[in-house]
Amino acid sequence: MTATDDSMDDDVFETQEDTDNKLKLLENSIDRKADTRSPTGYRGYKPPTEVLNLCKTNVLDDVQIVIHKTILLGDSGVGKTSLLVKFDTGKFESGKFSATVGIGFTTKVVEVDDTKVKLQIWDTAGQERFRSVTHAYYRDAHALLLLYDVTNKHSFDNIRAWLGEISDYAQDDVAIMLLGNKADCGTERAVRRELGERLAKEYNVAFMETSAKSGQNVELAFHAVAKELKCRRDGHKDPNRFNVQDYIREQTQDNSAVQQCPPCSY
Amino acid sequence: MADFDVEPGAARDNVLVASESFENFEQMSSSLEEIMSVNAISTAAEIEDDTTTNTQEDITHNQENGSEINEKQEDVENSLDWTNKRKHIFVISTAGKPIYSRYGNEDKLAWLFGVMLGLFRYSRDSIKSIHAGDTTYVFLSKKPLILVAVSKTGECVNQLTLQLNYVFNQIVSMLTLKRLTKIYDEKANYDLRRLLTGVDRLIDHLLDFSENEPAFTLGAIQCLPLAISERDSISKIIKDACSKIRNLVFAILLGNNRLISLVQMKKYHLHPADLHLIFNLVQATESLKYSESWTPLCLPRFDNSGYLYAHVSYLADDCQACLLLLTVEKDVFFPLSEAKQKIVEKLRMGNNLEHINTSLAALEESALATGFPELRHYLYKCKSTVQFYQPALCPPYTKNKVRLIELYKRAHQKMHCPTRPLKLSFERSSDEAVFSWDTKGFELYAVFEPLIDTASAINCVSKLLNWIKKREDKLFHLNAYTF
Repeated sequence: MTATDDSMDDDVFETQEDTDNKLKLLENSIDRKADTRSPTGYRGYKPPTEVLNLCKTNVLDDVQIVIHKTILLGDSGVGKTSLLVKFDTGKFESGKFSATVGIGFTTKVVEVDDTKVKLQIWDTAGQERFRSVTHAYYRDAHALLLLYDVTNKHSFDNIRAWLGEISDYAQDDVAIMLLGNKADCGTERAVRRELGERLAKEYNVAFMETSAKSGQNVELAFHAVAKELKCRRDGHKDPNRFNVQDYIREQTQDNSAVQQCPPCSY
Repeated sequence: MADFDVEPGAARDNVLVASESFENFEQMSSSLEEIMSVNAISTAAEIEDDTTTNTQEDITHNQENGSEINEKQEDVENSLDWTNKRKHIFVISTAGKPIYSRYGNEDKLAWLFGVMLGLFRYSRDSIKSIHAGDTTYVFLSKKPLILVAVSKTGECVNQLTLQLNYVFNQIVSMLTLKRLTKIYDEKANYDLRRLLTGVDRLIDHLLDFSENEPAFTLGAIQCLPLAISERDSISKIIKDACSKIRNLVFAILLGNNRLISLVQMKKYHLHPADLHLIFNLVQATESLKYSESWTPLCLPRFDNSGYLYAHVSYLADDCQACLLLLTVEKDVFFPLSEAKQKIVEKLRMGNNLEHINTSLAALEESALATGFPELRHYLYKCKSTVQFYQPALCPPYTKNKVRLIELYKRAHQKMHCPTRPLKLSFERSSDEAVFSWDTKGFELYAVFEPLIDTASAINCVSKLLNWIKKREDKLFHLNAYTF
């Protein structure tokens, strides 16, 4: 039995040099994936009508979808994959992920002010030997989430080197957010929050502490990025434009008033 | 005995590179450059023999009591526990820098690395093994690294060397031999661990994997049982979807550590040892399940000097088979991602996903369930296709698989012992009876109930071969597809 249907053959696979075309293709494919996914994969399975309707509305919404590329960076073992999986699936499993190989690609749609923003998230391997592969993807990125591990001083010390690489390889206007991950660590903490904040200020990038384990600020980190990118795209040039730092401060005010950095001068 | 024109599982086109399981790993091909210069006429001789000839002789020192290594145990935390491990594996650089230790922190074992390196140097790098009581020390020099195994498992030197070779290949698959050599040429005391972050986990997994799977000893691959039409249809879908992509070398579909389909570029073949590394990578890397991945990967037997680039993804949330598309192009993630989507769609339309799922979910039958009451377990390897089949485990091995594997390793060693290889052996102990048979076309290792008599064992083997022959198109990957 040969189940292939030759009439389905087409010439989609010419090498696409044009990035926009690639993007469009990708978008199509992702939509298609959403359409064809069935819980069973069995022949003749028909999803209930309301589900089908849902799909249809999704397709319509997707037309207005904005795609943003975000890259997760940082030393090996700081929790990039855990953070992403927590954001994507809501799950956290301690010690489950061995080192990422190369670079991983995930998409996630988030809603920002009633518009859908599709985040294309590249999860990179922190190891030195993969640098040449990951560098190639910096250039296309709209946003970079740069992680360190608050229990590992070394990973924090390397942040300057990472920022150096970013300025070498990424676009100048890329949105950068510094994240101190594993903030749930308690007594194992090796990097004080103020250090992170000071460093972020020095480089004029947004900062927050996150925890893939407790979920602290995980959603917020990605949403803040999406919001920032959307505002940039909408061309808010006025001085009152969205400021990601303010947004973060606003959002974290309720639960972390105690942790706020004290004013630097008396 | 059963009589066949062709042994069960043999095929006209070989899917994999046939190899002797004990062959040394010195042979490496350089396929990458060839593919890069696509239109150049390739020569048949890809194999270049490495410079190091394997004429070193076994130097066997019989020491009366255990080595000095055991006496220095107080230096290591949990020392008793550490010394009691059945098998230690160490990797050091030629300059004596610690790179890997299976147990314990290699930094704390500096003294031990010193002793090993001293011994090795003292013998002018010719030492291959030391036998001391029940412990075997095996040294393998793979420039610029030295690998050492210290084992109480009763495995022979060849088998331990094979395992060390796998460890070396695992390191090469991350860095390429070219880069590895270059690093040490430039700086002899380089700390390689800097570049190998995360690889220790892969090596750990590889070692456990090779101690639990007969595939490594046999140097063969096991396939997921699928009707031949089904496997062909899957291979054809993959082939069609990828036919327009330039320089795609291999497309590999696997699930549950079994090969589902392999499509390769014309003239190029995948070596089982490389495929084992791929199985190991997929099994040991949980994060592959959560996203599509893109990673450089060197397949040492295919070409140890350069990287292939792999697009790795699981087919779908509802089908946990892993698809790897390996190319020589550096930046074709998106075309391959597209191709993968197309493959999944077609597999779904053709109900192939459903069949893969059924086969993945179905437990393999035990020998007992297939009508061989006195047969506990067996391994059948077809030599020409380097594929093997084993039934499901059954008691008393379900709880102690390692014991069964070690049983097979002993039997395999008897068949492949360099000084006096056997062709046929039947050995009974109080626990089981082991039948081993090495012919031109296949190898068979069967473990019977201990009380079986010779005649019924032979009768059973003959029936078994017929049984396999009848199912060969389901159990083995017979038809090779190329791009």
